[in-house]
Amino acid sequence: MSEVVKSWTTRRDAKAARLTAAQSLLNGKFAKTQDARAVLETLIKPGDKVVLEGDNQKQASFLSQTLAQVDAAKVHDLHMIMSSISRPEHLDIFELGIANKMDFSFAGPQSTRVSQMIADGTMQVGDIHTYLELYARLYVDLIPNVVLVAADKVDHDGNLYTGNNTEETPVIVESAAFKDGIVIVQANEVVDQVPRVDIPGGWVDVVIPADEPYQLEPLFTRDPQNITELQVLMGMMAIRGIYEKHNVQSVNHGVGFNTAAIELLLPTYGEQLGLKGKIVPNWEVNPTPTLIPAIESGWIQSIHSFGGEVGMEQYIAARPDIFFVGADGSMRSNRAFGQMAGQYALDMFVGSTLQIDQFGNSSTVTEGRLSGFGGAPNMGSNPTGRRHSTPAWQSLRPDDDPLGKGQKLVVQMVETFGANKKPVFVDHLDAEKVQNEAKLQNVPIMIYSEDTTHIVTEEGIAYLYKTDSMAERQAAIEAIAGVTPVGLRSNAKQLADLRARGIVALPEDLGVKRSAAKRSLLAAQNMDDLISWSKGLYNPPAKFRSWS
Amino acid sequence: MMQTLWVFPGQGSQQAGLLATVNPAILARVTALTGVTLSDTTVGYQDPVQIQLSILSRQLDQLAQCQQLGWQPQAVAGHSLGVFAAAVAAGSLTVDTAIQLVATRAQAMRSAYPTGYGMGVVVGLTRTELAPLVASVHTEATPVYLSNQNTPLQTTLSGALPAIQQVLTLALAQGAQHAKLLHVPSPSHSPLMAAVAQQLTARLADCDVQRPRCSYLANWNGRRTLTADGVRYDLANNLRYPVYWATMMAVAEELGTQVAMEFAPGTVFTKLSQAQQPNVRTIALAQQSIDDADFLLTKWKEVL
Repeated sequence: MSEVVKSWTTRRDAKAARLTAAQSLLNGKFAKTQDARAVLETLIKPGDKVVLEGDNQKQASFLSQTLAQVDAAKVHDLHMIMSSISRPEHLDIFELGIANKMDFSFAGPQSTRVSQMIADGTMQVGDIHTYLELYARLYVDLIPNVVLVAADKVDHDGNLYTGNNTEETPVIVESAAFKDGIVIVQANEVVDQVPRVDIPGGWVDVVIPADEPYQLEPLFTRDPQNITELQVLMGMMAIRGIYEKHNVQSVNHGVGFNTAAIELLLPTYGEQLGLKGKIVPNWEVNPTPTLIPAIESGWIQSIHSFGGEVGMEQYIAARPDIFFVGADGSMRSNRAFGQMAGQYALDMFVGSTLQIDQFGNSSTVTEGRLSGFGGAPNMGSNPTGRRHSTPAWQSLRPDDDPLGKGQKLVVQMVETFGANKKPVFVDHLDAEKVQNEAKLQNVPIMIYSEDTTHIVTEEGIAYLYKTDSMAERQAAIEAIAGVTPVGLRSNAKQLADLRARGIVALPEDLGVKRSAAKRSLLAAQNMDDLISWSKGLYNPPAKFRSWS
Repeated sequence: MMQTLWVFPGQGSQQAGLLATVNPAILARVTALTGVTLSDTTVGYQDPVQIQLSILSRQLDQLAQCQQLGWQPQAVAGHSLGVFAAAVAAGSLTVDTAIQLVATRAQAMRSAYPTGYGMGVVVGLTRTELAPLVASVHTEATPVYLSNQNTPLQTTLSGALPAIQQVLTLALAQGAQHAKLLHVPSPSHSPLMAAVAQQLTARLADCDVQRPRCSYLANWNGRRTLTADGVRYDLANNLRYPVYWATMMAVAEELGTQVAMEFAPGTVFTKLSQAQQPNVRTIALAQQSIDDADFLLTKWKEVL
């Protein structure tokens, strides 16, 4: 009997062979900027699973541009894994034949082309994920061969500083570094000593100094002057009818003017209600500038962040009691931990959407645009395995079930008609059509009805968690859906009954005066006010400066 | 690098005086190649051949001036007739070929539907909302089709005039803000133009079409193309498909467009862009001089 010696180091051997082949291009771990294309052509093989770092804020833009320049005869049929499809070249690589399959979460900035490429067969989609699912699969069945990431600074040993925008660099690098994948880093700057080590040099294989700093979007900055009085009204209703009613202690706010309004109402309207010190001391949220007045007036005790926000660096550095700040003085964000906290540790998520169907399902996917989703599906879902109790979570516990448990508050805030004057409340989501067009396994729903506990509109609040049948849930939605086709199915009798049973509340039921909803109630009226509140520490990006 | 989209409109904004500043050499070339003398008068602009060749001439004139100043687009988008100047700007067609093709196209359109056909526009309903209304009116004898998608809430109709009129009435009843006939004498961008597309396809078979030097946004499917065949197909066939303008502009923005410069005549697409793509800076050459454009592009290049 002949003994076949099985190798248990095939991945390690393959990695070593690739790095050996690239030796002439490397000095230690370092490659020259102008050799970047040759480095990728040597280290990436056809069919590889490649993670290209890019979320809705930070982009490994030098490496993505370089990948779009490789010879498709040498590098092709890549299986890309990306939390966000954001830049034109992320899709150019599919047109060029360099890649053919994509697993992703969010594609908002390229949603039209993603739709077209799926329809044309230029891009095969593995799946559309929540962030946590995508990160998790990097450790299970999407283990990468190569990861391409971005760092602010690197020292001569390859130690990385990723600073305020650490975001998802750690979760990506770890999946490759400990499974014999190749870690390739673009760096803004090579320094003798990094301010702190965010990623140890031992996990890094190749460093390429970039020709320009990585792209960074100020995605979470909202100019207060664009908040409308309707949004002020909805914010007041939410504070009284949800934050106060449920004694909410910890929260995540989505991107949007509705939640920006709430942030700016806490120090004014919230103060008038005597709620300071009683609600929302703890936040999982990006360091959005509209939080500054609430922080400065003592409403907020802690904020952990998924990512950074351009212009907030100095302010954050001066408020280490509030933010997660390293000994070096800059914030450390972490998208994976942020999503985990958002799902398991928070009392409440508040977000917005483009469409809500008659059953309460919501989606931002519309015809011709396959946008995927950002943080909302993780934030906006009830983790049924949760054990720890808080007053808010417990307040949603059904009375009639001895083994029942609480529920996370998932709140959707929408005006009944959208920016395009089309109803937000619809019988069927566009997402249902998109499922067929893009041949997806699931309808791309952002937040499911079963997870949605409250909907706030300019008409009132629907307490969906109190309904005990789908028919009643539909009636509650109809009651606050205004003059949309869904809303027109409601009638006065039904509304009176729902109000009597506390399933629907109108502003007057909450003691909110419509006439009091004025812009002057906002703690900051414009960007200048935010700078003043920050004592000059907040430095808005150019596009938010009215004089530029 | 600053990403600039050059936009070339089609028919609709022509008026007497359009050619006042155009280099006479271009007008002479049109006459030499096609036998048509451009009158540039209100009476002249009753004729599709005069309209189409005049607009092309004006665009070629502005194009030559921009190129002389060293400007090149990163993407081009023509609307209907505008695709020919767009293809010249992208380096896919020569000036002479563009003039000959437009003459063929305009003559074929003129003879295809002399009377009784045209286009309408509906504002305030989505394409999906309009589709069943069109289907309920359309018959083989009096056909009507959904045609151009200008914005998500602005769609044109093409077909037989009575059928268009019926759809317009239904659209108003369903809550459209505006619904009216357009002064367009042919059912463009619908299957009714298949014969014209066939003639153009045959004509283009003899023409040299080069690979575009920049992104070319195709009318017929709203896609970006980078191939000579992609451009050729759009030039020949765009008349028998809707112009997916809103999709083309969404793709342009996703490709990184920062500046949209619209060639004459008219400022229709500049206004659409300002409403639909508020982050894109605009220049309208119907109102701003080439010197103005040169100044603005030079200034913006520093910051974009």
